Amino acid sequence: MLSKSAARAFFLGGTVLTGLVFIGMTVDTHRQAPARTNTAALTDEVKAGHVIWTENNCMGCHTLLGEGAYYAPELTKVISRRGKPWIRAFIKDPEAMFPGRRKMVKYDFTDEQIEHLLTFFEWIEGIDTNGFPADPPYKPVDGPVAAGSLALADAPEKFKALCVACHKVGGKGGIVGPALDDVRARYDRPALDRWIQDPQAVKPGTAMPKLPLSDPERAAIVDYLLGAQ
Amino acid sequence: MKFQSQKVAWLFFATSLVLLALQLVYGFIMGFAHMGYDGLHEWIPFNTARAVHTNLLVVWILSGFMGAAYYIIPEETDRELIAPKLAYVQWAALVIVGVIAIVGFHFNWWEGRKFLEIPRPLDFLVVVDVLLFIFLIGGTIWKGKRRTTTSLVLYFGLLMAALLYLPGMIDFRSHLFDSYYRWWVVHLWVEGVWELIMGGLVAFLLIKLTGVDREIIEKWLYVVVGFTFLSGILGTGHHYYYIGAPKYWLMVGGIFSALEPLAFLGMAMYGIAMARKGGRKHSNRLALVWTLGTCIMSFVGAGFLGFAHTLPQVNLYTHGTLVTAMHGHMAFWGAYGMLVFACMAYMLPELTGRPLFKHSKISEWAFWTSTIGMIAMTGAFAVAGVAQVYLERMSGMDFLDVQEAIEVHFFGLVLAASLFSLGIILFVVDFWRSGLPLGGITLKAEGLPAGGASDVGLEAPEAVG
Repeated sequence: MLSKSAARAFFLGGTVLTGLVFIGMTVDTHRQAPARTNTAALTDEVKAGHVIWTENNCMGCHTLLGEGAYYAPELTKVISRRGKPWIRAFIKDPEAMFPGRRKMVKYDFTDEQIEHLLTFFEWIEGIDTNGFPADPPYKPVDGPVAAGSLALADAPEKFKALCVACHKVGGKGGIVGPALDDVRARYDRPALDRWIQDPQAVKPGTAMPKLPLSDPERAAIVDYLLGAQ
Repeated sequence: MKFQSQKVAWLFFATSLVLLALQLVYGFIMGFAHMGYDGLHEWIPFNTARAVHTNLLVVWILSGFMGAAYYIIPEETDRELIAPKLAYVQWAALVIVGVIAIVGFHFNWWEGRKFLEIPRPLDFLVVVDVLLFIFLIGGTIWKGKRRTTTSLVLYFGLLMAALLYLPGMIDFRSHLFDSYYRWWVVHLWVEGVWELIMGGLVAFLLIKLTGVDREIIEKWLYVVVGFTFLSGILGTGHHYYYIGAPKYWLMVGGIFSALEPLAFLGMAMYGIAMARKGGRKHSNRLALVWTLGTCIMSFVGAGFLGFAHTLPQVNLYTHGTLVTAMHGHMAFWGAYGMLVFACMAYMLPELTGRPLFKHSKISEWAFWTSTIGMIAMTGAFAVAGVAQVYLERMSGMDFLDVQEAIEVHFFGLVLAASLFSLGIILFVVDFWRSGLPLGGITLKAEGLPAGGASDVGLEAPEAVG
């Protein structure tokens, strides 16, 4: 039968052994960190972004590298998912981008602070995360592109930066809003222009945000969607 | 109650329950926000509610541990606490730090590091406070007439918990190591040294409640905590899968996490075996019910549900989703919440001389409603979490669309949480009815100079029930 001193030896032995292995692996993790996390790119701007990230408790809603809270989106790959112009516009006024939906605090960051955050996210995206977040294995594959679809390649830059985050053209883009290939069948120029200029005025409560677009930029997008180029 | 200084435990228990009640309020705020009712967003945004909710959890559990330790150590060492007055100072300091931290969270004063949101200047106060606590407990053991395994395991657990708080205070340039050492605190607490504390507390309760020979209980205590550290230390690896640490953590974390349920299973079997073995029928049956409850629920919540999503192949999709919240709620309640309640259920009748917790119907209902409520909450989180994993992580649906699709499960969560809260309210009712400790909370009985907490003027209204 097991004696008390044998039980104690099991406890102490196991603890010391696994503790030593753990410390050894920690040392090795430090050794490998520069290559795996691109420490060379860890500039003061990245660190400044990191400080903004912690001082405002962003992980109280979001996750980063899967760590945080589950109230707001995972941000590890946010730069490639949304693109910098979209994020800049979003942080300035989060509710404008998702009217009537879940809210984010409006932080009134300066342009410089927003750039620091973006560099921080860029650095995070460069980390070797062992495959996280994984590509969704059951994501519906894009069907064959129908004849008469718009080509994303022809789109104005602002369209590529902002609109595709939610809408598809030519089978490419987001799935929040409807695909825009057949807009020209449903809208004329004044209606489409008015809609993009102020969606809430046309259809109160719509999820479509009022985007920060200059008049020429909006005109270019309308031209593109109506196929008038 | 053999020693006057044990009474300080009551203050820590009362504090625990106040903080728990507040934690529930913030939990409801978040539950409603998830349902789409975020009317408090302007004043208490989600990240504030979340930080308050989790930090209150940590503090009320720690306060419960401290209270239990102040009760147990005099009894195990067979002497009064050294400097009981300082124990009241330590209590006051804990409350002050807690209040400042919680208020600060509402004014964007924090460092956003999950579970360790307390801002750095306050961290130092926490350290001073905990050092004082460790000094009082350690000094009492040092000067004690006897040294038991139970008190040493408990002390080692508390000491390690204090030391492990320090790596979380180092300022790293890299987010990788910020995260890496944050888990030294959080993981090595809850899946390491807190289990040691749990082992010590459970051993004490089993010795008192079952009448099984101390040597047998303490022998198996070593086996259980041995398994805890054997699996738990390298099990930290399950937090290192995707933060930029080397790939071997996937394998090491996966294997040792898979062993972690064994430690909890050991704890459950240990509790049940000792209760069966015990010939003596202790009059406080409910304390034994809570003790066995914590042994079993910690296995289900921390052991089994933790295992359910720590394998790297599963975790790749469940990491950072509501599945974590499912595991977290039952794990914390089962392993540590119920443990503090077990300590209170045993110790309060001894402290107050009123046997309410032994046999009152209200206390019995408190156990069942809170336990069933928590199981139902876990179910609601599970459905929401699994749906989120399949829709967002597997099928690539947009985050907000998924969140709106699973809102209805948060209605279920809020219902279950109401049942759970009812159980807590019932427990608080019996705590209230039990009144203050025998002779009130005063230091005069120990022949110490008047002052300190006696000036607060707390006296038991009806000293003997």
